[in-house]
Amino acid sequence: MTANAAESELKDRLNLIESMIAEGRRTTESWGWAFVLWGLAYYVAIFWTGLGHFPWAWPITMVSACALTVVLAARKGGSRPGTVKSRAIASTWIAMGISMLLLFPALGISGRIDQHIMIAVASAMLGTTNAASSLILKWKMQFACALVWWATAVFACFGRSEPLTIVFLAAIFFCQIVFGVYGMIAEARVRRQGATNA
Amino acid sequence: MPELPELNPVVHGKLRLALLSLLSSVEEAEFTWLRAKTGSTDGNLGAQLLKLEEAGYVAVEKKFVQRKPQTLYRMTETGRQALTEYVQALKQLLGGAMEG
Repeated sequence: MTANAAESELKDRLNLIESMIAEGRRTTESWGWAFVLWGLAYYVAIFWTGLGHFPWAWPITMVSACALTVVLAARKGGSRPGTVKSRAIASTWIAMGISMLLLFPALGISGRIDQHIMIAVASAMLGTTNAASSLILKWKMQFACALVWWATAVFACFGRSEPLTIVFLAAIFFCQIVFGVYGMIAEARVRRQGATNA
Repeated sequence: MPELPELNPVVHGKLRLALLSLLSSVEEAEFTWLRAKTGSTDGNLGAQLLKLEEAGYVAVEKKFVQRKPQTLYRMTETGRQALTEYVQALKQLLGGAMEG
């Protein structure tokens, strides 16, 4: 083998290492759908409660959304490999979900909940989790969602009830539905790029 | 003149190198994902993964998820060290070739 051929083979090996590492890192989890699903679940629970003050509207909707998320995540996960980043992000959302599922029924049963407390606590939790996730992913758009949730939480402490409902519905629309659709479009773009580069 | 390093033959194989590089960027990966990313056949992939396992570079875990068998591969600390040393040796050799 000539010196040039040997050098070319060594360069090929180095390129192979770089491309395979990039391929592994490009493996993205798709979670945009979960934001849309939970946004719709919040709307269902809010409108169901508004229709007839049914006390089980929130628990039933939230537990159903949880079950649907687990089933869809298991199906969509397929054979994708786990990364430290994806585990860190999933952990923050699971921890937030457990906190909400424990706290809100407890507040409801103890009778120490009202619309202001519920929206303030839920928005603050969503702000914290979105911020943690955005800092891990270095995703400015998601950090903007965290700011919207934190602003909603502060507004819930001082604002009147009627505009508060509108602010909460708007926050759900922008931070769950719009952000979720945006996430799904971004994920599809990354997948297309991956298919083109493969 | 410093002596040029030798390349680790276990890591140097093209498919084995691709597998180690892929596994270095994820926590663990399924056999089917590795097959899709490398475009290799089941038989060849299984044989190369076995060589890496025998060298102690990857660890394998077999389990059942929703009644379906799943084979997960994870890079070991020895494997990470071997890949790092291989890259260093490769760069050293390429540096030598460019100077030559």
